[in-house]
Amino acid sequence: MTSSKANQQGPRAPASEPLPEEIYARLLAQTRRHFLRSFSAGLGTMFLGTLASPLLSSSMAGGIAADGTRRLDFTRDPKSPLAALPPQFAARAKRVIYLHMAGAPSQLELFEHKPELTKLDGQDCPMSFLTGKRFAFINGVPKMLGSQYPFHQTGQSGQWISDRLPRLEKHIDDLCLIKSMRTDQFNHAPAQLLVQTGDARLGHPALGSWVLYGLGTENQNLPGFIVLLSGGNSPDGGKQLWGPGFLPSVYQGVQCRSHGEPVLYLDNPAKVSRSLRRSMLDAIDEINRQSYAEFGNPETVTRIAQYEMSFRMQMDATDAMDIRKEPAAVRSAYGSNPGESSFANNCLVARRLAERGVRYIQLYHWGWDSHGSNAKEALNIGFADRCREVDQPIAALLADLKARGMMEDTLVVWGGEFGRTSMRENRGGQTMTLIGRDHNPGAFTIWMAGGGVKPGLTFGQTDDMGYEIVKDPVEVRDLHATILYILGFDHHKLNYSYQGLDQKVTGVKPSRVVAEVLA
Amino acid sequence: MTFLVHHISARAWFGLLTLVPILFLLLLVLLAPPDGNERAQLLQFVGRFHLLAVHLPIALLVLVPVMELAGRSRYFPYLLPSANFILGVATCGAIVAGALGWCLARSGGYSGPLVTQHMWGGVFVAIAAWLCWLFGARSSESHLNPVYAIALLATVGLVSFTGYRGGQVSQGENHLTEQMPARLCTLLGLPAPKIPETISSNGGPATFFGARIQPLFAGHCVGCHGHTKHKADLRLYSYNAVMRGSKHGPVIKAGNPKSSKLFHRITLPPGDDDFMPAQNKPPLSPNEVKLIELWISAGASGTQLADAIKDIPLDSARLPAVAEASFEEFDPVATAKQRAGLAPIVAQLQQRFPAALDYESRGSADLVINASLLGSKFGDNDLAALAPLSEHIVIADFSRTTITDSSSSAIGAMKRLRSLRLMHTKITNATVQALAPLSQLESLNLFDTPVTPAALTAIGHLPKLRHLYARETKISPDAPMSEDMKEKIIF
Repeated sequence: MTSSKANQQGPRAPASEPLPEEIYARLLAQTRRHFLRSFSAGLGTMFLGTLASPLLSSSMAGGIAADGTRRLDFTRDPKSPLAALPPQFAARAKRVIYLHMAGAPSQLELFEHKPELTKLDGQDCPMSFLTGKRFAFINGVPKMLGSQYPFHQTGQSGQWISDRLPRLEKHIDDLCLIKSMRTDQFNHAPAQLLVQTGDARLGHPALGSWVLYGLGTENQNLPGFIVLLSGGNSPDGGKQLWGPGFLPSVYQGVQCRSHGEPVLYLDNPAKVSRSLRRSMLDAIDEINRQSYAEFGNPETVTRIAQYEMSFRMQMDATDAMDIRKEPAAVRSAYGSNPGESSFANNCLVARRLAERGVRYIQLYHWGWDSHGSNAKEALNIGFADRCREVDQPIAALLADLKARGMMEDTLVVWGGEFGRTSMRENRGGQTMTLIGRDHNPGAFTIWMAGGGVKPGLTFGQTDDMGYEIVKDPVEVRDLHATILYILGFDHHKLNYSYQGLDQKVTGVKPSRVVAEVLA
Repeated sequence: MTFLVHHISARAWFGLLTLVPILFLLLLVLLAPPDGNERAQLLQFVGRFHLLAVHLPIALLVLVPVMELAGRSRYFPYLLPSANFILGVATCGAIVAGALGWCLARSGGYSGPLVTQHMWGGVFVAIAAWLCWLFGARSSESHLNPVYAIALLATVGLVSFTGYRGGQVSQGENHLTEQMPARLCTLLGLPAPKIPETISSNGGPATFFGARIQPLFAGHCVGCHGHTKHKADLRLYSYNAVMRGSKHGPVIKAGNPKSSKLFHRITLPPGDDDFMPAQNKPPLSPNEVKLIELWISAGASGTQLADAIKDIPLDSARLPAVAEASFEEFDPVATAKQRAGLAPIVAQLQQRFPAALDYESRGSADLVINASLLGSKFGDNDLAALAPLSEHIVIADFSRTTITDSSSSAIGAMKRLRSLRLMHTKITNATVQALAPLSQLESLNLFDTPVTPAALTAIGHLPKLRHLYARETKISPDAPMSEDMKEKIIF
């Protein structure tokens, strides 16, 4: 109805939509000719649509991509969307355990030995370090801050390490350190999103979701992408860090609890037997199937698959998460204490999940944001506690994986979302009582182990202050490309067609596989 | 010529007006045939419309016999009087399409028997259409002129032949059979479709060819010897195409640059008629020529790695600043061929062992079995079912299964195993001793098995073994063992 006509009729009821009677009358007035006319126009549009679709979108599965190479086909039976698929080429690892230290641990107190910085401790920061830089909290001219902990060389590879990780230190020759990581985000939530999803904005699939989409998972009775938090604060990036973004939602990470039911409401309520649950699910599935037949919404298939998986998980997830089943010696090696939410428990669970064929296991630890604004976040207090919380479990996890031969096909990644400044934080331009460092997106350190990475290697180099990269910078997208390569994919080929683009985790900026770190 | 009496002016004029361009076309084709050289851009531009124009006369010439037949039935008598008009239009269409075709062939760098036959076919179609038009006027409802009928049939045959040749010129020689289902091929007695030359591991980005030689060809040569133009039938866009050579035979002689035609042509004095790149296009630099010489001397390989040839001239191809990972491409057709023998058995066993058995990668026919997910549901009988695939399994995980030593010979038969996991099983030294023939084995996992130190001697000689996992076995770290074994064993 045109607006002029509406005006002539004066004030109308708020509903500008035609009344049901009007629609009915209009339908009655339709003749065969009306139908044929609109239908033939529609037919033409449909034909044009089929012509244009290969040009506009690239949804042709298994076709030829824009660069002339062959597109990989990830289509599966809708009933088993997580079915395992072989990688593009022979993989170096088949699963990932990613240990994310949310808050961004200070590389200068752990792996970056910078004696020159220690010499300048307490002096004013040169202006060249500050011009053009943005900081979360540093104001005016801060003072340089040397490492708060002594460093020493260790292992056959002679890498420098501080005294904060005495147990992990024993595995130093198994680690591949990348000291030249770089990001373009200096706040936690976007930086975590960038590290975990490849994009600082919301709406992109987590790396784990991509991996699950590309490889599926071996164990159909457990989620293929499991997320474990360690109590304390949840990561600032929120649940989007393991969200599926534009991928079908079956590929999202499933957050599990480390005590009680691994997934809330997974157990049957009192007096509901497993067979009753089964017949209830059968009825729901039937309704969902009818709904799918009628509307064809793929999310309905997702829902059916999720119900079925929950039913299978009732048995297997509870068993996989139950660390009480581990021998006491193993539990004490990890320092785990069943029943509480702790990083130690999660590391042990991670090993149990890895054994059971879970594809991507994401652990978050918390509290690494060492600004020095309170005791928990001070380099000399809270930071030391955080180190103690992770040192033993990570060392035990590495030892355990190694003894079981699982380092051969498991990639362990450790890191935060950015680095910390070489300057002491001076929040509000004041000298603070506690010692801390601000966010530094310009350089940070991560390490990888297992899965075909070169053990005992240090890659990349920062300047004498540990402030900026001077050699071999590695962007976050390069890290993603490398992880996908280890899992048997060319990151250009792990695609999902969305909004007219072949979307990929590394985005549109050039990215490279850091081949130097591969064994 | 009594049949012309009534319409002398109109028909005679039309006949003459069409005959003259047909004869002119004939002369063009005789005197200026396509010779593989590229000419004026404008001529090419006009010529490209050949593909658009050519389908109108084809359709009309096929339509006429239909009209002639249908017009003689009770239902469509009104069709008959129009047939001759359609023939006239078809004749005009054939002349225009023929002229455009000559433009394209003459200027677009075409040559060879396919295009010659297509061209003559086109000329004869125009002539045949004209003749049909001429004789068709005498045909009536009661009387079908036999000359006309034969001419019509011949025209349709000619159109089909010419159209097929045209398809071959533009779509490739086997454009009709290329995608034919293999069963239909055998039914028709045709050779099975050849694997199309798609992505080949030859000349990948990490190879010397891919990194150094291909960029030179891409920059200097493929404009004329590529996908769209392939003068002298030479294509330089991929390793396989380069090695296939031109219509005069191979252009690369591995190991001998001096007798390689390609090298000869790029090293002639720049003024020479045969010098390449031709027509004043920028020549290759001395260093680029040197690169090609080095590559041919070293065997003109497509798989040799980029750093295999030393002492390359420095300012030629850019050296990659950092290590490059190479992405292995795979060819689904070739992979399907490799898997052909075992695919049915694999599919069958995948049903039996869901999610446990799969290929190592999308481009591989090697298999990975992970029975640990089946746990106690997998026993000796199940392992025996893998027997037909023994030689293809490269990674096997039987952890937590109920297999026993009676599977030892079945595991020993998996001769290409690289990784074997037997964690948490009941197997003993007997199984370990049966592993002696596994010459490819790199990793053996005996975690939590009742294996004793005596087993170590049985596998001590395995040439590729790097890791032996022996925690929670009867082997203790201080058990007597060779220095070599001490390096490999992990507790």
